[in-house]
Amino acid sequence: MNDLCADIGYSSINHIGEQLCGDHVDVVENGDDSSVAVLADGLGSGVKASILSTLTSKIISTMMAAGLSVEECVETIAATLPVCSVRGVAYSTFTIIHLRNNEYADLIQYDNPQIIMIRDNASYDYPKKEMNIGGKTIYKSTIRLRENDVFIAMSDGCPHAGIGKAYNFGWKLEDIADFMEVMVMSNYTAKTLSTILIEECSRLYGGEPGDDATACVVRVRKRVPMNILFGPPRNPDDAGRMMSLFFSKRGKHIICGGTTASIAAKWLRRPLVASLDYNSGSDVPPTASIEGVDLVTEGVITVNKVVQYARDYINDNKNYSQWNFKNDGASQICRLLFEEATDINFYVGRAINPAHQNPDLPINFNIKMNLVEDLSDALKKMGKRIKVSYF
Amino acid sequence: MKVTVCIGSSCHIKGSRPIVETLQKLIAENKLGDRLELAGTFCMNKCREGVCVSIDDKVYSVSPQTAEAFFNENIKAKLM
Repeated sequence: MNDLCADIGYSSINHIGEQLCGDHVDVVENGDDSSVAVLADGLGSGVKASILSTLTSKIISTMMAAGLSVEECVETIAATLPVCSVRGVAYSTFTIIHLRNNEYADLIQYDNPQIIMIRDNASYDYPKKEMNIGGKTIYKSTIRLRENDVFIAMSDGCPHAGIGKAYNFGWKLEDIADFMEVMVMSNYTAKTLSTILIEECSRLYGGEPGDDATACVVRVRKRVPMNILFGPPRNPDDAGRMMSLFFSKRGKHIICGGTTASIAAKWLRRPLVASLDYNSGSDVPPTASIEGVDLVTEGVITVNKVVQYARDYINDNKNYSQWNFKNDGASQICRLLFEEATDINFYVGRAINPAHQNPDLPINFNIKMNLVEDLSDALKKMGKRIKVSYF
Repeated sequence: MKVTVCIGSSCHIKGSRPIVETLQKLIAENKLGDRLELAGTFCMNKCREGVCVSIDDKVYSVSPQTAEAFFNENIKAKLM
């Protein structure tokens, strides 16, 4: 046992003119500490490639997670995939990253660009063993994981980026590794790292990708707990119990909500100081501070903004540059929850603020409870462990 | 003199931000920065009357439209 965990994220761009991506990534969790990520690249592009890669990644991830061997997975795929009518073959390349107990990673690679591994901020040349399964040459490596190891799996659309445009021979793997070494140092999440890599590919293609390009990034990191308090308890007598549970937990503490912050300040016997800094152009209210609390923000409006950012993050991740650099309350919560935390405990109070139950105000009780559900759903999709307690 | 503007959810929606900006601008124009303290606070528990602005211990209800009149009447008049 160790306290490591895997942060897995991926992004794709499609071949120009195609609505479907011919690459597919599938991630299956296998118990608490093991997971399988499979990146498959189907032959060609469009619908046919999409079906091939989806089948391949689904079959492999499901079988591997169930404990079956690579040989069996490959045989199953060979027997299952539909044969392409044009080329007469059933073909999809794949890369498998199998994390076992967050202690070991098995890398299994078939015909995709080689996985780039970054250890201690430099690319790391790991040993590979050649295997032959059903006439296919497959490379297998087993690596003992360390904190801050990063694995970058790609489809060939990445190294082909810029062929004949920015670079004569495309974006070489060594150059991709150099580019990513710098990004890894900035502590971006796996999802953001994959987005940065794919955005760069798109730029090299001049915005007109000649192939589907996909990157899947796995970051090995320590578990970090985080606690967030949102809303006063329904029964005011429960405030003491709620505060002592909240403050006794390990990890950082975030408080959202004006009234909630006042209750916490009173409980801690520390002053609550609100700032008037509107952080150049932000549409959420300013933050406040209480000694002993890592972040104090306003409630519904701020959390609503966080939910918007969270939804974008799990889809296109178009707004990461906003919350990554801005300093308003919502952006600060995003950095703490999306980047830093792996285990998040929500302490949600169900008090109804009568002044908020005005149909003209977009902050009534139901909206507040929905925000908690939406946010915890989105965070689960990011691979976080979530616990919600209501008071 | 201490002037405190509520920046809680309800007051924020009703326009705390333009009020803070108006007051900051007027304080600078009238060079009153060293004679009063402008601060923020979370909920004053008078959300219905928002935006709540207090001067020392007295609470006033202000809107972005009345911010300038509020400043002239209650801040400038008393300090100048």
